[in-house]
Amino acid sequence: MKWAYAVAAVGALVLPVVLAPGQLTVFILLGLSAMAVVGLSLLMGYAGQVSLGQAAFTALGAYTSGLLSLHHAPPLLALVAAPVAAALAAVVVGVPILRLRGHQLAFATLALQILLLSVLSGAQWAGGAVGLQGLPYLSVGGFELDQDLDYAYLVVGGVLLVSLIAHRLVHSRVGRGLRALATGEMAAEASGVPVGAYRLLVFAVSAAFAGLAGGIYCFFLGYLAPGSFPVLLSIEYVVMAVVGGLGSIAGALLGAALITVVVQLLTSLATQPGMPSYAPSVLSYAVYALLLIAVVLFVPKGIVPTLRRSL
Amino acid sequence: MGELAQYLVTGVGLGCAYALTGSGLVVIYRVTRVVNFAQGSFAVLGALTVTTLLAAGLPHGVAEGLGVLLAGLVGVLVGVVATGKPGTTPQAGLIVTLGLGVFAYAVEIFFWGDQPRSFPGLPGAVGGIQTHYLLIIGVTAVVLGATALLFARTDLGRALTATAADPYAARAVGIDVVRMGLFAFAVGGALGGLAGVLITPVQQVSFDSDVALVVSGFSAAILGNLTRPGLTLVGGLLLGVVQALVGGYLSTAYQSEVALIFMLVVLIARAGRRDLVEAA
Repeated sequence: MKWAYAVAAVGALVLPVVLAPGQLTVFILLGLSAMAVVGLSLLMGYAGQVSLGQAAFTALGAYTSGLLSLHHAPPLLALVAAPVAAALAAVVVGVPILRLRGHQLAFATLALQILLLSVLSGAQWAGGAVGLQGLPYLSVGGFELDQDLDYAYLVVGGVLLVSLIAHRLVHSRVGRGLRALATGEMAAEASGVPVGAYRLLVFAVSAAFAGLAGGIYCFFLGYLAPGSFPVLLSIEYVVMAVVGGLGSIAGALLGAALITVVVQLLTSLATQPGMPSYAPSVLSYAVYALLLIAVVLFVPKGIVPTLRRSL
Repeated sequence: MGELAQYLVTGVGLGCAYALTGSGLVVIYRVTRVVNFAQGSFAVLGALTVTTLLAAGLPHGVAEGLGVLLAGLVGVLVGVVATGKPGTTPQAGLIVTLGLGVFAYAVEIFFWGDQPRSFPGLPGAVGGIQTHYLLIIGVTAVVLGATALLFARTDLGRALTATAADPYAARAVGIDVVRMGLFAFAVGGALGGLAGVLITPVQQVSFDSDVALVVSGFSAAILGNLTRPGLTLVGGLLLGVVQALVGGYLSTAYQSEVALIFMLVVLIARAGRRDLVEAA
């Protein structure tokens, strides 16, 4: 598997330079998805919980950064505040809702995201349904990140940071406790694993990753609206996590890359002259759906864990 | 007073749609243990089909009936994909139905585009209340009554209940458990389709209306822990009436949040007693 990491690393460093401007945007959005998906994959793989609200934390991070920088906070501080705010929110809602299991948690997280979206679209201070506009670029000590290329490397750094934190977490005492938790909650609890605290920790970490993605997103695009973070975005994250393989960091990265690239290829195919106007959305929905169903039924562990076992 | 009565009838009408959607979830969950996330898609598919059939000149009644029938057939298809492969866990089934719900988007946009659609319902008004709401209430009462009879009084219904209670024992006495699961999906699909067909004349439907519908249905059904049809009806009506009152007296902006908050409160309140429920 070592060579795969090497290929990915070289690709992540070289691609931003060689990609055309439109493709660079896709690359950046892919990286942002990957960050949120690494978190979701940890949550679903290690805490065994289906969350249909991961994009809520992306939205929280993005709005935190956006509001702070509109109110003239230093941009770097605004960016750092994004994951912190998302994690805090996760701790607050996590205490009551992490007592839920399976489909109950799935619906509860979905409900929280819809509630957040409707609060945001009704809130004057958050720009309502129009959202926040005219956000400044990210700047660090006089150096302004105003090129797509800057953001591409920022995102590569973000993905790396998130993956390292996830890796450390998985291979720590907490990670071992969580693995015990995933195989048998009762047994783990009896052996002294602080089940509730660990579960809350993973939830907060996973939210922080999504929040950081949201923070970068806000500086990269320069505008935000509740519509930028639809329920469907959460479902896309789930598709990416499941396809790549739950609980696997490499799986999360591969899942995000695979889905983004396939959907992008189909979209460029569907926007060829002569194709009907509905073709892009029809094709991308069909791809999300068919990949998700096929993987759940026929590769239930996801691509990366399955490959790893057969190699 | 007239205003209050109007809100109440509107609320009960809306609540009937939630109760139908929720009952579909309950029927499927009881027999297969799958929480069918595609439940809202049945309603959307049924309603969109009716718009096409009416445009093609079919009379009212026939078009609506065919829409519900189609939703039932789609229910069977969803059941085949979500439970057909041996060894598929209910958790995997939930994710598969999530995928099927997204697949329905592709189908719906392909055939009907992404703009909201509607069709006329029963025209006229009685005492300031749209007659169509009375139709919704009447049809729901008859259909849920018939469903209850089906489960309580027929051999098929008893076989379904047996499968819900203990699939292993049901198989031992010669009940085809997989077939019962598919039948449950057919009933669930038809109930969902009926909800969509009934509600569309008073509330436009578009391809992504399914999320709001499935969430409302789930909120209704969660009161009875997804297994009790009676409480699902109560939950649906309660939600509908509270929504109508909130929309009427406070603000329509907070209407759809009522179901979500209700669901969260019931879930969290129940989670405290979960260990007891699981042990039982």
